[in-house]
Amino acid sequence: MNVTIKLFSTLREALGEADFELDLGALNGQVTTWDVAAIKTALSKRGPVWRDALNQPNLVHALNHKVVFIDAIVADGDELAFFPPMTGG
Amino acid sequence: MAIQTAAIDVADEYARLVKAAPGAAVATFTGYVRDFSEDTAVHALELEHYPEMAQVVLQALGDSAAERFGLAGWRVVHRYGLLSVAETIVWVGTVAAHRGDAFSACEYMMDTLKTDAPFWKREHGPSGNSWVKRRGSDDVRRARWSAEKGA
Repeated sequence: MNVTIKLFSTLREALGEADFELDLGALNGQVTTWDVAAIKTALSKRGPVWRDALNQPNLVHALNHKVVFIDAIVADGDELAFFPPMTGG
Repeated sequence: MAIQTAAIDVADEYARLVKAAPGAAVATFTGYVRDFSEDTAVHALELEHYPEMAQVVLQALGDSAAERFGLAGWRVVHRYGLLSVAETIVWVGTVAAHRGDAFSACEYMMDTLKTDAPFWKREHGPSGNSWVKRRGSDDVRRARWSAEKGA
């Protein structure tokens, strides 16, 4: 199961990547249902920089261009974005 | 709705809006880059955005304003990229039958856009660049619209 991860603003800078494909099956073949929290946990294992960036207060997650709660279910082909609170206008 | 790097031609946007949707009351808001922030001078403003999501959010915002306030027409233009002081950042126009709805819709769109549209500002100043943090007052202004009608 593949998802596209996108990072913006401070997350993009801290982690040095703007977007990448993530094969969830390769990460953990035992898990059949992935939610945003499980993906955060899996990515946090990449190291302390990832753990800190993804566990900062007020982190926003958007699934297929809509802000969602952390228990939103992620499906094959979805696009999941992480970013800090928005400051447009 | 438009998301662009080019400067916003406010007079042209206004003319197009009222031609496309004539109405008795028109309200507009234009936001410009200021030359100061909370604790430093600002030389320029950089705006990062999430293109696909910004399109979806701004379109949904205009649609919700139209429904909520009975608008005859609306338009929002938001820039991204590197902007100089005093340049336009954002423009919102609303057309309604009465001024109350036009004013309210314009304010609702700006207050909601600031917290819900995926844009991030970074200020360039004398001591370097820094990402702008969300202000609590923006959340308070956004929350008023949810309190008035469960949005």
